[in-house]
Amino acid sequence: MSTTGAARSLADQLRGWPDERLAALIEARPDLGVPAPQDSAQLAARLSTRPAVVRALDSLSLLELTVLEAALHAPGSLHDVVHAAPASVDAALARLLDLALLWGTPEDLRPVSVLAEVLASPQGPPVGEVPRLLEGLSGPARALLDHLDERDADGRFESVTEPVRELLDRRLLQLREDRRHVSVPWSVRVALRGGRSTREPVDVVPRVATSEQSQRIADRAAAGAAFELVRRTELLLDHWGSHPVGVLRAGGLGVRDLRAAATLLAVEPAEAGLVVETAAAAGLLAPGSADDVDPAWLPTEAYDAWLTQPVAQRWMTLARAWLANPRLTGLIGARDEADRPVNALTPELERPWLPPARREALTELVETEGVLAAGTGLPSLLDRLRWRAPRRPAGRERAVTWAVEEAAVIGLTGLGGPATYAAALLTDGDAAAGLEPLLPAAVDHVLIQADLTAVAPGPLEQELARAIALVADVESRGGATTYRFSDASVRRAFDAGWSSVEIKEFLSSSSRTPVPQALDYLVDDVSRRFGTLRVGGAEAFLRSDDETALTALVTDPGAAGLRLRRIAPTVVVSDVPLHVLLPRLRELGHAPVVEAADGTVRIARPDVFRSRTSRRRPAGAELARRAARTSAVVAALRSGDRIAASRPAGQRAALPGDILSLLRTAAEGGDRVWIGYVDHAGSRMERVVRPLRVDGGALLADDEGEQRSFAVQRISEARLLG
Amino acid sequence: MSEGALIVQSDKTLLLEVDHPDAAEARKAIAPFAELERSPEHIHTYRLTPLGLWNARAAGHDAEQVVSALLDHSRYAVPHALLVDVAETMARYGRLRLDKHPTHGLVLSSVDRPVFEEVLRSKKIAGMIGERVDAAVPDAVGAVVVHPSQRGNLKQALLKLGWPAEDWAGYVDGEAHPIALDQGDWELRAYQQQAADAFWEGGSGVVVLPCGAGKTLVGAAAMAHAQATTLILVTNTVSARQWKHELVRRTSLTEDEIGEYSGARKEIRPVTIATYQVLTMRRKGAYPHLDLLDARDWGLIVYDEVHLLPAPIFRMTADLQARRRIGLTATLVREDGREGDVFSLIGPKRFDAPWKDIEAQGWIAPADCVEVRVTLPEGERLAYATAEPEERYRLASCTFAKTRVAEELVARHRGEQTLVIGQYLDQLDELGEHLGAPVIKGDTTVKERERLFEAFRSGEIELLVVSKVANFSVDLPEAAVAIQVSGSFGSRQEEAQRLGRLLRPKADRRTARFYAVVSRDTVDADFAQNRQRFLAEQGYAYRIVDADDLGSLDAAAG
Repeated sequence: MSTTGAARSLADQLRGWPDERLAALIEARPDLGVPAPQDSAQLAARLSTRPAVVRALDSLSLLELTVLEAALHAPGSLHDVVHAAPASVDAALARLLDLALLWGTPEDLRPVSVLAEVLASPQGPPVGEVPRLLEGLSGPARALLDHLDERDADGRFESVTEPVRELLDRRLLQLREDRRHVSVPWSVRVALRGGRSTREPVDVVPRVATSEQSQRIADRAAAGAAFELVRRTELLLDHWGSHPVGVLRAGGLGVRDLRAAATLLAVEPAEAGLVVETAAAAGLLAPGSADDVDPAWLPTEAYDAWLTQPVAQRWMTLARAWLANPRLTGLIGARDEADRPVNALTPELERPWLPPARREALTELVETEGVLAAGTGLPSLLDRLRWRAPRRPAGRERAVTWAVEEAAVIGLTGLGGPATYAAALLTDGDAAAGLEPLLPAAVDHVLIQADLTAVAPGPLEQELARAIALVADVESRGGATTYRFSDASVRRAFDAGWSSVEIKEFLSSSSRTPVPQALDYLVDDVSRRFGTLRVGGAEAFLRSDDETALTALVTDPGAAGLRLRRIAPTVVVSDVPLHVLLPRLRELGHAPVVEAADGTVRIARPDVFRSRTSRRRPAGAELARRAARTSAVVAALRSGDRIAASRPAGQRAALPGDILSLLRTAAEGGDRVWIGYVDHAGSRMERVVRPLRVDGGALLADDEGEQRSFAVQRISEARLLG
Repeated sequence: MSEGALIVQSDKTLLLEVDHPDAAEARKAIAPFAELERSPEHIHTYRLTPLGLWNARAAGHDAEQVVSALLDHSRYAVPHALLVDVAETMARYGRLRLDKHPTHGLVLSSVDRPVFEEVLRSKKIAGMIGERVDAAVPDAVGAVVVHPSQRGNLKQALLKLGWPAEDWAGYVDGEAHPIALDQGDWELRAYQQQAADAFWEGGSGVVVLPCGAGKTLVGAAAMAHAQATTLILVTNTVSARQWKHELVRRTSLTEDEIGEYSGARKEIRPVTIATYQVLTMRRKGAYPHLDLLDARDWGLIVYDEVHLLPAPIFRMTADLQARRRIGLTATLVREDGREGDVFSLIGPKRFDAPWKDIEAQGWIAPADCVEVRVTLPEGERLAYATAEPEERYRLASCTFAKTRVAEELVARHRGEQTLVIGQYLDQLDELGEHLGAPVIKGDTTVKERERLFEAFRSGEIELLVVSKVANFSVDLPEAAVAIQVSGSFGSRQEEAQRLGRLLRPKADRRTARFYAVVSRDTVDADFAQNRQRFLAEQGYAYRIVDADDLGSLDAAAG
């Protein structure tokens, strides 16, 4: 509790503080540093503003708040009034001084000026007098007082009833400034509570209700969830990479798309929402464009890099993103105030206070011995957090509940207990290293069976997984993966450029069991049918039953430029268009006839060329059109001139200083001025006025015979009209 | 990280690695609640379904056991959502129960008020329940009278609502009739005994055994448990005769005690065997033979080949909930997807044994499945290509190339009892003519059929050409080779049934041979692949040979 003796003011005291202490203050209350204060006086002023104080109060624990309140009312007897061990009181006091909510010395504590207003509780009659005042109190009045005291809350009233009147008269209740609430004054409260400001000790942190469970089981379950998270993220983004889903106009993911994703992942929509949000927070998913028309949610390039990492690393990327994600994903699927469903990935979900709250809850969880007791565990955790910051808005407790639930899905906790590696994540350490040994080891083989399925008895190595997903369809996913081979899946591999030998080699090298004969047959069957039908593009075909003639034509050097290709003994194709091909063939001495699309022969007669008759407009019409056009232009010109003439001429000012001096000049000279200004509704107006006076940031002017006042800072432009 | 034999997938499938040292133990742990979906050679797939989990609940397993079985044997972390889902699903069973009340008769009650109220408000069951009698059942929060005739319909509807009721209302004993197994020269196999016992303990339900594993005897053992008049429902008349024959041979029942109720005869005796066909026959919009179900006070009803139970029989059966019911089948797969009705109306699965297990014990013959691929000759290929889609399968199936292959195969297996099975009558006649063998099809008289089957059994004739009439319940123990030239499109259970014809253990422990002749590059090949799926999933691997390479067959088989 080092202070600089008797400082005259808070600013003075701050001036006397060492740099480290100032730095600690700014760190603890970052809002003070933005924007950087110019000097200690400004910092002191900022410390006394209401928002800054409220913000600081929100971060105080129940103990600190009680001490602070006591310091406001009874600075001299803190240790007597606060129901807590003296050491706890001292520690709390030290923190309050460090936060500069109080200043001065322990002997002469001074609250920052606005504090009394914020924490306001009337002082009340001297403590010594209270017992006397309580005596002879009527039954209803006493009951009312006890009730208010027990609730530790203000009472609301509409009209003054007899018991209230009695209490007010005896100063046992005091009317609030708003004249709608009454509160029990400080001294009365202390008297009612036996000389202390609270009945219960305030330095006892509520304990989290836990039950025992082996760390091994928690780890296993958590690692299982972590693995699932990575798997689901990959599955979903892989799917969206090839089947993009649209971005809503409001910038979110459609309800139907989310439900489809949930079906794909075989989870509840809420969990799918978490996967989607976490992927987006990790930068793996972002709006992009798949078809240059509509924006779509697509995996990012970072996703490709992410894919190449080991599972534990991938998980850590996701878990860190989740931890720092300011988005309230628990709301997804609920309905907002306007009864519209809340979509995933909408911008509205951001809550800046969420990451610290989540981190705080998890830290509590990690520091707890054992696992949260079923039923009572979560409420007790909330109690503990409430003790830590009683002034926090109550709505945030829901966020804590969600955070705890989500932690299980993310894989930080298992069956209610934190995993061993969770602590590392919270301290930004290498949680992946802790997770790694708990994850199932990658396997490098599958078991292929006679019913044309293959089972990978664990997570496959990436290369293998991609290859096998090409030749077979996934039937079931999880720790293991089941694949089924079918015509279509094998054909897909052929389409991707594999040969039947390659497929067979791949299968026999990756299967730990002999490849069943049925599968060999399947591959052969598909291979036999693959590519038996050929498709291509050509401009023209030539066919002839005379194979020799066709051979002669194809080998004729004169036909080299016709790009003839023989695709069957009697058929030749060419990619030269017919109208070029036909004369060339005739030049070469052949007598081709043209076949129509339906196979009939067209009579081949040389085309006779004609030019297209150009349409002429009558001369008179053209003249009339020109005359009309000219007159329109002239009219526009004239009108433009008139507008220009009506615009104010003369001296013009657009900068605040210039405007001010121009207005002053005009006021002195009694000149008229054109001003452009922005009104209260934000729309731009123009006016011609005669300025009368400029002072106090306002222009008083004669506007069409009526005196009006304009705020100078709203005037954007002024012109002297003379 | 434990190295369990089981991999639990988030889509509720369980993969069991067969070669894993703990595989047997893991299989035992999950068998009560997971349905075996596929059992090819390396990795077997089980699935967790609500029906399977409720089956397990009905058998007395609880969610904790299921969860711990999964956790103990799983190689990787078990998805948390799946465990939650298992617990929730299992908790749904038994929230409602059906009891017999001394004064109100059949009563549906629950200890869970929200569930009870939800169910009562459902439109689906509105007509099945009577007045509220909350006070009548002391432990329950709510109870309602159910008309006894709606017992089955109600259970069916509740299953659809997702709240299957536990049926504690018990069964009528029926008219007593002494029946005993006559185990002089034979003995009930261990699994048959287990199946019958499991059924009896459960009260009603389905026993799943492979074709050829002796389901008739399980039925007989169940009758011996019941000691009451019995109605046996079978697929066709030939099968009815065989049941009768077996019962006379294996039990204390005499010919006079067993009646046949079919198109030909209408006898009602203490043990009556009726065909599905006669029960579902309609005349003027009514089922004239339905009275059979009430003709006697039956103590037991046996459904043979439950997977073929026609839909009208389900409706009729719904009224029979007070009688014990046993369903016998080789597969719970129904091509019409009505597995849920089997669960609610016949009962949960009470016994199940994988085919390969029983084969390993030597109770069914090992089988070698071969797919022979023929190429359509040029002319037929053209005809096929230009044919209407509905004609294509017939064209592809009936190619003469198949007849030639059949001839060659028959010649190779001369001296072995051989069946040639087909779908199309023209083709069968053509085959009969070419092979010089008798043909059995739909219009063959029962008498003639029996004569031919008997001659085949005795070895008098060694080659039969049969249509689909021989798919089920025809006992031809010595058949060792089957050549299938065509079938009912992609029916999986037909393929299984046909293979089942061959699975009676042979005197010399020979391997049975099943040939499926398939036309390459046609819909026939696509259907064949679907047909083979069930067997491939049961671990029967098909080898493929070209029709031209039949010579290499036995060399490869070793």
